Amino acid sequence: MSHDSGTSTGSRGSTNRSASTTSRRRFLVSGAAAGATALAGCAGGGGSDTLTVGHVLPTSGTYALLGESIMNGFDLYLEQNDGQLGGYEVETVQRDTAGETDTGVTITNEFLVQEGVDALVGPVSSAVAIAMMQTVQQESSAIWLNANAGDYRVTQDGCMDLHFRTSFNDWQTSAPLAQWVYENVADNVVLSYADYAFGQNSKNFFQEAFEEAGGEVVDEVAAPLGTDDYSPFLGDIESSGADAAFSFFAGSDAVNYISQFSDFGLDDELTQTGSGFLLSEDTLPAQGEAALGKYSLLHYTATKETDRNQTFVSNYSEEHDRQPNVYACQGYDSAQALDIAASNADSTDASDLASALSGAELDSPRGEFSFDPDTNEPLQSMDVREVVQGDDGVENEVVATIDDIELPDWGCSL
Amino acid sequence: MFVEFSSVLRATMLGVQLGMTLALVAAGLTLIFGMLDVINFAHGSLYMMGAYLGVTVSAQFGSFWLALLIAPLAVGVIGAVIEVFGLRALYGRNPLYHILLTFGLAVMIQGLVVEIWGGQSLRIEAPASLAGTVQIGPVEYPVYWLFVLAVSTLLIAAVWLMIDRSDLGILMRASAHDTEMVDALGIDVSKVFTGVFVFGAVLAGVAGVLLGASRSVNPGMGFGVIIETFVIVVIGGLGSFKGAVYAALAVGLVTAYGALIAPSVTDIFLFTMMAVVLMIRPNGLFGATEAA
Repeated sequence: MSHDSGTSTGSRGSTNRSASTTSRRRFLVSGAAAGATALAGCAGGGGSDTLTVGHVLPTSGTYALLGESIMNGFDLYLEQNDGQLGGYEVETVQRDTAGETDTGVTITNEFLVQEGVDALVGPVSSAVAIAMMQTVQQESSAIWLNANAGDYRVTQDGCMDLHFRTSFNDWQTSAPLAQWVYENVADNVVLSYADYAFGQNSKNFFQEAFEEAGGEVVDEVAAPLGTDDYSPFLGDIESSGADAAFSFFAGSDAVNYISQFSDFGLDDELTQTGSGFLLSEDTLPAQGEAALGKYSLLHYTATKETDRNQTFVSNYSEEHDRQPNVYACQGYDSAQALDIAASNADSTDASDLASALSGAELDSPRGEFSFDPDTNEPLQSMDVREVVQGDDGVENEVVATIDDIELPDWGCSL
Repeated sequence: MFVEFSSVLRATMLGVQLGMTLALVAAGLTLIFGMLDVINFAHGSLYMMGAYLGVTVSAQFGSFWLALLIAPLAVGVIGAVIEVFGLRALYGRNPLYHILLTFGLAVMIQGLVVEIWGGQSLRIEAPASLAGTVQIGPVEYPVYWLFVLAVSTLLIAAVWLMIDRSDLGILMRASAHDTEMVDALGIDVSKVFTGVFVFGAVLAGVAGVLLGASRSVNPGMGFGVIIETFVIVVIGGLGSFKGAVYAALAVGLVTAYGALIAPSVTDIFLFTMMAVVLMIRPNGLFGATEAA
């Protein structure tokens, strides 16, 4: 892989060193020029023919798998395009945020000021994204492809023309499911969620939409992030008497919650629904049969039977020996978005890239989507999936696709 | 807030089960400290290795029971390697060396786990014979969770008896109390030390396999459990097995009831409990004077 100048995503050990090597070289070659461009705020001043991409992603800690999947997806697109995006040679730099807010901000700052990157890809965690906003805005020297952090407040509080969500927002993975649940599952639900910003947002968005649809929220149960044993919470869920549950849990929380939900025999009493992270490619193997018959909502499903997706899945599996997850798709689309931006803008200047990408359409493995010109949020369809028994363990099957979803703009109008 | 009887019963069962499984991990930690004066930060990693090896063995042979047998023994071997090739050279030195070595090992083992098994959560398949639920009063409880409760309680009782009654237990306590005297009496103390370390490792491995089928198995679990067990060992008194069992039970119940009443402040409860115990009895409930 010649495109990434030794900062390969696979070799974590060497990333720090190569990032600083790149730093010195780049400072000589085009760092000064990039700096001048940023100061002058005018396009084409650098005349550089490389596009530098900074991955602000975790490769260790809780979110390591997510960070690596995003980079894998990004690299796949890059490889398919001979290491070029929009006609520019791509150079990537990467440093491990470990999912820590402070580290994420430090790395962002370093990428923008020292490395003079043209594009930022990441982060995974919304806390990191919210903390990054100020630096990105202040420097205004790179386009920001947000490949995962879904907190709506990045749009509500930031509303930045440089920020594009190549992923999703937390409203999309919860609210649109409400109407479907009301029509197909039950008219009353209990809400259970991991008690932190993302879980609370998802719960609130679902509740609002579910009540608007005419449904009733019977009770809500909050469990701390990282709970190992859900038994006490499952007791509350059971005694709520609701016919269905809507939940937000992710990662190992989702594994514990779903397996124990089933262990405690709650399947006989409630239908479990949730945001897609509850029942995702990463958690299903561990959840196993406990996940069967449960519904969730997400913008990407690896088993979706479209040609575009099947091609992506087979290319990705060939390289990585496993199916792509939603994060890999988001990484892939981040590269694709940058490709479109750079080729339309014919420039590596941040504001040129941003205006070229505004409103653009992407032919993504998840399905076609475009960026809302007002918010730079992705306007995309959402899949309702049911967990079924596949040939190779349990898997998600798309049972409905919700199109033409009207996104809130959270007071942002670009 | 009104709390129903069924909730209390359910939380009590979880609390006791949590307490007993935590005691399995804490027992090793406290015994190792009692005898070797080593604070073993890698002890949580041994618990994690139990779970991961359990995942592999049960997937390979399709048998939970084989996993429950083989994985803890394998963890015992890892423990022996750590003791013989790592810690032995550092006995009697500044405790900082022990902390550096065992903490370093914990980080290495975590990295190794991610490298071998990946970052995503895994789970051990519980045996089909223990599937389903039973009705206990108003509560529907999973059979497997009762099994974990029973096995860990029996094991803790057996260890208790062994330390209290058997010759081996007397030897262990004697070695902890006065190493030189035991050495002078012609007993190879270093073998006793290795034995205790391996024993602690096996118990942690058992806990790893047992919980690996009711909880997710992930690379963060080693550091997660070490914090809880440290609280337990500090409350119970460093080096005291009895203290660790009582404290584990207390911590288990507080965690379970806490989840019922005020989930977000359960951790604060635990640390407050630890602070209060330390203020009243700086050596913990059963600390210092009563070895093992």
